Amino acid sequence: MSGEDTFSGSDLLNQFELILESDPLIDEVGFIHPSQFELLNSEAGSSFSETHIGDSKEENPKFWIRDHKLGISTHLLFQLYMAAKDAFTGALAQYRTLEGRYNASSSSLDTLESEVMKHSKSILLLSCDFGTAWNSRKLIVSKKQQLSVFIDELSLSALVLSYSPKSEQAWCHRRWVIKMVAEKCSTLEEIIGKESKLVQKIAERSKMNYRAWNHRCWLVTYMTREQVLDELKKSRDWARLHVTDNSCFHFRTRLLLRILEEFCHKQEDENVKNTLQTYQIWQEELDWVAVLIKLYAGREALWLHRRFLSFCWIRHFTTDVGDLPDCSQHKSNINTNIYMFLDNELALVTSCSTMPDNEFEDFQAQALHAATYILWLTKQIPKFRDIRIREKLSATNMKSLLVVTCPERSSLWESLALD
Amino acid sequence: MAELAADKHVKYIISVEKRKDSFENVVMEHLRMNGVYWGLTTLDLLGKLDAVDSQEVIQWIMECQHESGGFAGNVGHDPHILYTLSAVQVLALFDKLNVLDFDKVANYIAGLQNDDGSFSGDVWGEVDTRFSYIAICCLSLLHCLDKINVEKAVNYIVSCKNVDGGFGCTPGGESHAGQIFCCVGALALTGSLHHVDKDLLGWWLCERQVKSGGLNGRPEKLPDVCYSWWVLSSLIMIDRVHWINKDKLVKFILNCQDIENGGISDRPDDAVDIFHTYFGVAGLSLLEYQGLKAIDPAYALPVDVVNRIFIGR
Repeated sequence: MSGEDTFSGSDLLNQFELILESDPLIDEVGFIHPSQFELLNSEAGSSFSETHIGDSKEENPKFWIRDHKLGISTHLLFQLYMAAKDAFTGALAQYRTLEGRYNASSSSLDTLESEVMKHSKSILLLSCDFGTAWNSRKLIVSKKQQLSVFIDELSLSALVLSYSPKSEQAWCHRRWVIKMVAEKCSTLEEIIGKESKLVQKIAERSKMNYRAWNHRCWLVTYMTREQVLDELKKSRDWARLHVTDNSCFHFRTRLLLRILEEFCHKQEDENVKNTLQTYQIWQEELDWVAVLIKLYAGREALWLHRRFLSFCWIRHFTTDVGDLPDCSQHKSNINTNIYMFLDNELALVTSCSTMPDNEFEDFQAQALHAATYILWLTKQIPKFRDIRIREKLSATNMKSLLVVTCPERSSLWESLALD
Repeated sequence: MAELAADKHVKYIISVEKRKDSFENVVMEHLRMNGVYWGLTTLDLLGKLDAVDSQEVIQWIMECQHESGGFAGNVGHDPHILYTLSAVQVLALFDKLNVLDFDKVANYIAGLQNDDGSFSGDVWGEVDTRFSYIAICCLSLLHCLDKINVEKAVNYIVSCKNVDGGFGCTPGGESHAGQIFCCVGALALTGSLHHVDKDLLGWWLCERQVKSGGLNGRPEKLPDVCYSWWVLSSLIMIDRVHWINKDKLVKFILNCQDIENGGISDRPDDAVDIFHTYFGVAGLSLLEYQGLKAIDPAYALPVDVVNRIFIGR
């Protein structure tokens, strides 16, 4: 028998919950293999106040805690999980029974509530998507209707995300909290700002995390115009350093569309300043992405972002596009000629289509993305199918380039019937 | 070229059911209903559904149903629309939909529709186009689509369409192949595919195929076997599947098998799991791989099961 087995599951759970209670500021949790304990200790140095809690310090370390970071030994997980689940299930069943009784004493209900809260937290720190545990918290918290209690839920969710950044339920719990406080909370703007920062922090560690960025996109609905502009500015540096992260570029898409929406719906008289601002934002984004495209060859996310930008640009800021629905009444003072725009794009595409002899993969990809970009745009804009543009395009010989660089999609290229 | 290790996969699926002694297994217990659907649908596609005791499974499924009509992921857990569809699908596999009170299940789902046509996953209100698909698929299998406002449901899905032709979780959400499957599937089941720009979406979807032949779910991501289902079924529903290279995809999936112990992983040489085993086999079925039953791209059930429900035996 190993030392661990002499400890009962409920003793272990008590110990775990005592640690959580004694340090309410724990902001990171992780599962660590026993062999890592030694390493962590030597890294921490002996003068710090790290504690590792176990019956025998060297043989069976259980938990490691320092600077509000909690490590749980992977050897305990099964036993701890089973104990937490039993405790949680029992407490929840009792709570539900008592809650249904009209004459239940409030003190015993309070006791059970805190039991459910305590054990559901333990479960969620071991099994991030245990929906029933999240639900039990929603039930109890929604009865209290206190801002501080709601904010505590955001902290727990952040703690869960520290070990499981893709946890669907943890992100969902945050949205539930925000919806609950949105109407009556004077600090909503501040909460939304903090949420956005949290996503950025998590995205730094967990690349291309769809759930995290989806949450940030969801937040946009709750943002003021100033916040939207600020987010656009702030996410730019991050995007520049993560040019393969499509999610971040999609977040910018979401922000830009929100700005464009207002631009299309505002009355003309209050609109002059905003119109000009929107136009400038779009122009800057196009210029910026062109710089990135040239700097980082062959990045799909950049070219896809450009597809979006150009499509909206043509639709809203150019003249001579009779057959597309737009908001032309607002753009009388902004006229860019569609042919001039296309000439610029063709120049960009041509400059990105030269393949050096060594057939370096990134340049091949760059040529492929460039050619696909211009053909995509041509297909989306009916006006581009007129004779002047067809001549220009066939001069660039895009289609044969595509057949060479990407034969897999030959039936797509055939279906375009460009020449 | 490697072949499909069908017998090994059958053994693997049956063995997964029996493992309950490690943290990795118990920590997934809340979504066991989904696991049962993935495992049993795969067995059926392989022609081996009779390897499990249907009575035992059906009894367990019914223990997961709540008073509300919805199903939980396991006994003792809260109900959710995600598990309700899996429960209905597994009962359909066994030709045992008749054990259900159709109205009760359908009322649970209909009760989750919101004013804007969207669906919540459960009483706590999270909204996602996945839940729209589930609601529509489930009600369609129960012949109860008239319980919801289909027009509003369709309009909500259309409001989640992006400039790139794809769909996200909510309006303005990033396009993702999994969400696209849900939205295209829901539109297909309601006869509303005219809302989809097939060339535009087909273009985005066929760009998911990477050099190795595998498909990814979003730009710049690594290929993953599960997208053999999400991307492929969507391409089939919008009639653009000829825009990808099918042979290369078949090879990619077969390379993700554990030839010795059975099971399929996300990418070659990774650890196998039941989720990717299902999506790999389902993908091969869509690619008309020899010896597999055909699967319906919208209902995600074997075609003979779907036919049994809609046109009788």
